[in-house]
Amino acid sequence: MPDIVLECRNVSHRFGRHKVLHDINLQIARGEIVALVGPSGCGKTTLLRAILGTHSPRGGQILMNGVAVTRPGRDRGIVYQRYSLFPFLTAEKNVAFGLTLVESSLWERALLFWKWWRLRRTHLRRARDLLANKFKLGHALELYPFEMSGGMCQRVAIAQALIIKPEVLLLDEPFGALDEATREEQQNMLLDLYQENLQAKRSGRNPPYTMILVTHELNEAIYVSDRVIALSNFWDWNAEGLPEFPGATVVYDAASPASPRDPLHRYDNFLQQREEIRRAAFEPESHARRGEYIRFWDEFRAGRGVGVMAPDQRMGPDGAQDASPGRAGTVIATEDAGS
Amino acid sequence: MLRRPINWQWHVVLGGASFATLAIVYTLWYQQRQRDIPEDRVLPSWERMYDEGVHSALTERDPKDKELILWKDLRATFGRLAIGMFLSIAVALPLGVLMGCYTPLEAFLLPPLAFLAKIPGTAMLGVFYIMPGIGLSERFFTAMIVFGIIPTLTQTIYHAAKEDVPEELLFKARTLGASQAECICDVVFRHILPKVLEAFRLSIGPALIFLFATETLYGDEGLGRRIRLQSSKGIERYPIVFFYLACAGLFGLTIDSALRWIRRVLCPWYVQ
Repeated sequence: MPDIVLECRNVSHRFGRHKVLHDINLQIARGEIVALVGPSGCGKTTLLRAILGTHSPRGGQILMNGVAVTRPGRDRGIVYQRYSLFPFLTAEKNVAFGLTLVESSLWERALLFWKWWRLRRTHLRRARDLLANKFKLGHALELYPFEMSGGMCQRVAIAQALIIKPEVLLLDEPFGALDEATREEQQNMLLDLYQENLQAKRSGRNPPYTMILVTHELNEAIYVSDRVIALSNFWDWNAEGLPEFPGATVVYDAASPASPRDPLHRYDNFLQQREEIRRAAFEPESHARRGEYIRFWDEFRAGRGVGVMAPDQRMGPDGAQDASPGRAGTVIATEDAGS
Repeated sequence: MLRRPINWQWHVVLGGASFATLAIVYTLWYQQRQRDIPEDRVLPSWERMYDEGVHSALTERDPKDKELILWKDLRATFGRLAIGMFLSIAVALPLGVLMGCYTPLEAFLLPPLAFLAKIPGTAMLGVFYIMPGIGLSERFFTAMIVFGIIPTLTQTIYHAAKEDVPEELLFKARTLGASQAECICDVVFRHILPKVLEAFRLSIGPALIFLFATETLYGDEGLGRRIRLQSSKGIERYPIVFFYLACAGLFGLTIDSALRWIRRVLCPWYVQ
């Protein structure tokens, strides 16, 4: 059985009389990069906020490693599209901020100056190492957010969240405001992190990064993630005997052919899956039955999981070349399941 | 061009030109008045301003302790202002920040603060006079500043804490392991620090008004008291009144510039 990090059990939510989410059931395994897509206003951000713990759902439960989520915590990192960084801290201090909060208390910082000063040096060194080596931002350590480009800010924000090793990283349309080239650069950065997951799994370690990416870009969702979940208002709730619209629900859940990174960004490869997602979630007249396009766990049980969910790892040490057959296999499996 | 920036040299030149314009306008006014009333002594000439104003103020000593009167007045006014402003910010800052972070405290304190902010501080003179622990002592001047500016200063800080800090930053801080106290100290306070310094700087003006008004009525020393004293001695003392007014302006300008500099040093990230 996969290691389930995050679980949504019968989650529903409404704002006053306006019903937003209905009976959301999800299980996210360690190491997955899950894209959450759906039409505007379908409750993606509401679900993300519920997972974050800032807005509790009206019904159901969200569990992190089996423990109910009631408030924001260190086990869930967040990267927003706007306000992604603390404006009063430089890049390295933004990244070190989490370490500061985790490894020292307010009183220690105020009263035990020398101890705090030594600790502070360690934090800043770790932040610098991370930014320079993994995120290629060695030149921007001393820059404030207002001095950095949008892409740089988002990379720093991801480093800031990852340095304290959250169980799940939530990304709320993180690349929505970026130009195409920068966006592709950021997407490849996520895929590089995913490669680390694959390598970790191959060597018998826990994959370090589990992510939920909320996006309205279907190409991005399929390219970056290894699983796409779609929420939609357009589903056949009449078929379930409900008297009125109960809110959006999960209408699509399937593996996607993500990883490894594709320098050419051949989105044509995703055409079939993109059309399927569009049909399932974005077309008002489709009114798919719930479950019609939900097959992720069935495929996994049938041994057709991909990436970190693959039953056997057939990739070589570099991950890239040997993974390609796996990708093709996934596409075929998806087609089989969809037909 | 709208809002096109200029370099600092132009700032200095134009700032100097504005003072030169003031001097020219005064000179023209003085000449016009001399033409109309040749024996007029109300508006002093530049020579009189220097001889009877600057020179006199810089040499006149208190017969009791032989100390320069101008220095004593400046020290008294600055001391009262410093204590008053320190106490005001010491009360307004935690109160404003906590009101911005905790809604029950906001609901409890905002109505009386909004009410008190509408009452002119100088109108409260008589009330402070009978307040226990204040009386007509040195504390009276401090109380005047503190009670005069705290309602407005607290409200400004409260608004900044409530509206200027995006809740996303607070959520993010919580995901990074911040406690509530750390959210307040390390996120809210640091985020609004430039606004706090700005509010503090803008409070200097009203604080000086309250202080001068109180010194004029009740002071035994201080710039406000000296200006009133010299004015009441008749038109012959106008050169020294003008000099003291210039001192008061310079005094305010120095504090203003110092606070701007502090903000630039403490908050280099703050781009208006």
